[in-house]
Amino acid sequence: MWQRQPNLRAMSDQTSARPTLIPVLAAFATGCLLTLMVHFNGELGRYGDPVFASWAAHGTGTVAAAIWLGIGWILTKASPFATSSHGRAPLWAYLGGISGAITVILTSMTVNSPLALSGTLALGLAGQVGFGLVADRFGLFGMPRRKADLRDYAALALIVAGSAVIIFSAGWAA
Amino acid sequence: MISLIAFATLAGVLVGVSRQVNGRLSLSTSPLVSSFWNHVVGFVLLSVIGLGLGGLIPASAAAAPWYAYIGGPLGVIFVAAGSWLIPRIGATNTALLIIGGQMISGVALDLMSEAPRPLFASVIGVSLILAGMALTQRR
Repeated sequence: MWQRQPNLRAMSDQTSARPTLIPVLAAFATGCLLTLMVHFNGELGRYGDPVFASWAAHGTGTVAAAIWLGIGWILTKASPFATSSHGRAPLWAYLGGISGAITVILTSMTVNSPLALSGTLALGLAGQVGFGLVADRFGLFGMPRRKADLRDYAALALIVAGSAVIIFSAGWAA
Repeated sequence: MISLIAFATLAGVLVGVSRQVNGRLSLSTSPLVSSFWNHVVGFVLLSVIGLGLGGLIPASAAAAPWYAYIGGPLGVIFVAAGSWLIPRIGATNTALLIIGGQMISGVALDLMSEAPRPLFASVIGVSLILAGMALTQRR
């Protein structure tokens, strides 16, 4: 954070362009993956509780990631932990898992409250999108800056409105 | 109620923070390495919290079917994908498109499992999201 990173400068100019099809489809597919993930973790939470489910998912995830990294290491004969052209990562960059763990604790509290699942989803969506706008505007945590234009805000309004319709209509069906 | 609203919103903000921080790590390493550390750190923290509160592993958890544990490895791909996306399309687009995919696949899952869901509202919601996605993408 405190050191100048010329590569990021070049990168921010590059990413201020509109996304191409591949990352858009990849992000959409990632959202589909999230539905499966939430489904399986929900199953685990039904037998245990939400904190147990997240703990177990982080544990099995650690093992899976270690195996995949090991396979990659053998196949490419290059250590996955070698540093790239961006230099060593600052120490705080290793702590992303902390906010993920706290998220689980918070949502397990709000889902079982008057907010229920729909309120938790809707407010979480607002939090994510609001943070995204600030993060892009200022390039928070050493990521590239990205300026939103009118078309970005129109896309934002459509996706947020569509999501809100889906979230809040879920309970209507008789 | 105010604190509940704050908690639920903060949960969303923290999802973004986590993606941003993991994205920074993946620039210096790779998305998979970043996802690995995310899971290690999360596991250690949840272990400390769980052991502190007691009852980390409920007795009833033993009855969970094996496939319920697939969520963990899927999460590794999910976190790695987020780190790959952030520097390419930005935090806002990443969040919006992942949410769009989650909503539409959620509707599809409900339809397949015959969970009750109003068809008309679902069609409107899915259409709005697809229109937003089309607008996001470069032509």
